[in-house]
Amino acid sequence: MTATVESTVSAPRRGTGRPAAGLAPALAGTVTVGLGGAAGLLGVLGISGHGGGVRLGWLLPLAGVDFAVSATAGLFMLLVGLVAVAAGVYSIGYFRTSGASTITLAVAPVFTAAMLGVLAAGSVVTLLVCWEMMALASLVGVLSDHHRPAALDAGRWYAGMTQLGFVAILVGLVVLSASGGSGDMVLLGRHAGRLTPTARNAVFALTALGFGSKAGLVPLHVWLPRAHPEAPGPVSALMSAAMVAVGIYGLVRVDVQILGPGPRWWAVAVLGFGALSAVYGVLQASVSTDLKRLLAYSTTENMGVVAVGVGAGMLLIDYHRPGAAAVAIAAALVHTVAHAVFKALLFLSAGAAVAATGIRDLDRLGGLAVRMPATTILFAVGALGASGLPLGAGFVSEWLLLQALIHTEPGSGTLLAVVMPVAVGVVALSTGLGVAAMVKAFGVGFLARPRSPEAAEAREASPSMVAGMSFAAAACGVAAVAPVVLSAALDKVLGETPGVGLSAAPSLGVVLRLPGLAGSVSPAVLAAAVVSVTLAVVVLAGRAGARRRPAAVTAPLWTCGAGPLSERMEYTATSFAQPLQQVFDVVLRPEVDVEVSHAGGSEYLVERVRFRSRVDDTVELRLYRPILAAVSRWAGWVRRAHPGSVHLYIGYGAIGVTVVLVVAR
Amino acid sequence: MAGLTGRIRRLGRIAEPAPPAPGPLQDASEVGRGSLQLRHVDAGSCNGCEVEISGCFSPVYDAERYGARLVASPRHADGVLVSGVVTRNMASALVDAVNAVPAPRVVIAVGDCACDGGVFSEAYGVVGPAGAVIGVDVAVPGCPPEPAQIIDALRKLTRR
Ligand code: SF4
Repeated sequence: MTATVESTVSAPRRGTGRPAAGLAPALAGTVTVGLGGAAGLLGVLGISGHGGGVRLGWLLPLAGVDFAVSATAGLFMLLVGLVAVAAGVYSIGYFRTSGASTITLAVAPVFTAAMLGVLAAGSVVTLLVCWEMMALASLVGVLSDHHRPAALDAGRWYAGMTQLGFVAILVGLVVLSASGGSGDMVLLGRHAGRLTPTARNAVFALTALGFGSKAGLVPLHVWLPRAHPEAPGPVSALMSAAMVAVGIYGLVRVDVQILGPGPRWWAVAVLGFGALSAVYGVLQASVSTDLKRLLAYSTTENMGVVAVGVGAGMLLIDYHRPGAAAVAIAAALVHTVAHAVFKALLFLSAGAAVAATGIRDLDRLGGLAVRMPATTILFAVGALGASGLPLGAGFVSEWLLLQALIHTEPGSGTLLAVVMPVAVGVVALSTGLGVAAMVKAFGVGFLARPRSPEAAEAREASPSMVAGMSFAAAACGVAAVAPVVLSAALDKVLGETPGVGLSAAPSLGVVLRLPGLAGSVSPAVLAAAVVSVTLAVVVLAGRAGARRRPAAVTAPLWTCGAGPLSERMEYTATSFAQPLQQVFDVVLRPEVDVEVSHAGGSEYLVERVRFRSRVDDTVELRLYRPILAAVSRWAGWVRRAHPGSVHLYIGYGAIGVTVVLVVAR
Repeated sequence: MAGLTGRIRRLGRIAEPAPPAPGPLQDASEVGRGSLQLRHVDAGSCNGCEVEISGCFSPVYDAERYGARLVASPRHADGVLVSGVVTRNMASALVDAVNAVPAPRVVIAVGDCACDGGVFSEAYGVVGPAGAVIGVDVAVPGCPPEPAQIIDALRKLTRR
């Protein structure tokens, strides 16, 4: 985030221990791809209603392990499978060139398996065990380059936040299964009505906190922009594309399907925190100068948009508008899938750029379009998806969400009338600023001239990396023009969601139709039109131009009479974001500091000007720092009680025993 | 808005009536015929010529009615309007600017300084008149030349 500080990543030799031998990356990649394929298969089974239960009683003492894939889980398994296949293929070349220890190599397969376990979990205990495995595997991934202080710091934040989130989910789900009288997820759905209102509210609050923090919702997002960038390319893709979606899965499965429909404040809370995340995430993304950190903030933004969809769906269910609710929830799900594919692509291609240059700082990248054409084009496909424009993966879902939000009939209640227009504004603002952030990432990072020698000497990614990215890009293309592939799954998921009108489910054919609402659009036709008009213009203009074009001459570049153009004259990420930073400085609170040194003591002769601008995470500064300070103060007091004296400890023991004896008398 | 409209109406047209068009130049080139876009380069002038050039494009003289315009980039121009003696600091910039104009192009030297060095010809830091570094097609002498003289030269090129 600092404009002047260099953030160089040591590309070779990640991780501890011996660098793995030649075949190991291929083996790890193949296992990940295999897991991804299996996930796809299981997902399809789950969606088609054949995800029946498997019980492995011997695997875990007392509770046993249960797997049962619901349709909702099936949809998310498909998503994780897609990301895993792309990341697995990619990881073969990535770890071959950048080198990795065996531990780092094992992260991707274990992590994928753990995520699939969470999704396939048929009981609360299985879900919790797999959740913890997922957290630990990703933590190892974040720490794979633990010689860097930034990675260590990220690891600490991530470990703290993810464990707190786990505790919240643990307590919430234990209360749920204790009062629901069963640990089985399907049975719980039927018995959730037995909970007292207080217990229901408590379970909702705890699980929403835990799942929300995994999805990176503000204000529980602080770990995300630190941890995601530190992990190696394929692992960051898995984290930022698949793991956050697992958080959304928890929210949908537990809080909407099992507990819901709940009181109105649940919906407002989900929608509100979603809106906050969308706006805050996109603002931070648009001023961020670190390529991977920008993408991580964009994840927060997109998960915010998803949460807006889920929250709006919950609110519409509460207001008995099953049609609009179906569209909102469908929009949230489609956006989760779209986000997974485009964010996987973005993180993979950003990882390729970082691996080739060793630089994450956008202000020192640039010029990769010439040196790494395939990676550049693939990143562009991902960035188009993240911009929510037609032809991009994110278009369909954003359109669906806006349709659900704007079609609130008048007279449907004050709350709805106030909340929905605000939500429309939030989605529109975050989409607009998201375009700016993506233009910055692509334009500054990949186009123009290289801004550093490392960027000037970048080499194209290896074939397997390009293959992995191309797979993700193909998925983006399908999501953009043929969302129909999701429609069967969506119908099933909506069928599992109480209070949602199935008949009003959007049909995602060639033309998107919303039976409940008046609105239709055809992404495929739109895409075909855009492509054919562009082609026609290019061809016609080329023809017309060729006829009366004079002979070409080579002329020097016009630089207003100054010397030759240099990369120092290009737009940087900092300068591109400057207007936005100025407009939103109340929220972002940038720290700008200009230092002018004068030559020879004259105030007219300037020797050098140093400009430094830094945007910190306001939420972290204002919310977390005071809490951390309080906790460490408290820990300081506690520490005084154990000064290392054996006598004192024996004394504590004696007092303890006495108290027990007195109480248990 | 109403105030502005009223003021425009009261003021009316203040451009002086156009004098009869001068004939074309001897070696009549087609550059700038009908429309002449010019990039102005101050190569080291005392700014007297600049005042007169801006007078040319003021509402009173209104050179634009004859098809001549000042543009911001040589890439958009048909020619260069040079004023002032060519100083060492500006010599290469002037050459670059002229080369940046797509051919065929015209170079118009405005003022004695640009034509033959004028009062600064003996000064230190001076390379010479515009002709010393670039080819000059049209010269407008005078220290400074009046707007009417400059416009006369421009009209010879635009033939309007
Ligand atoms: S010609 Fe006269 S007015 Fe024009 S720049 Fe030279 S000295 Fe100044």
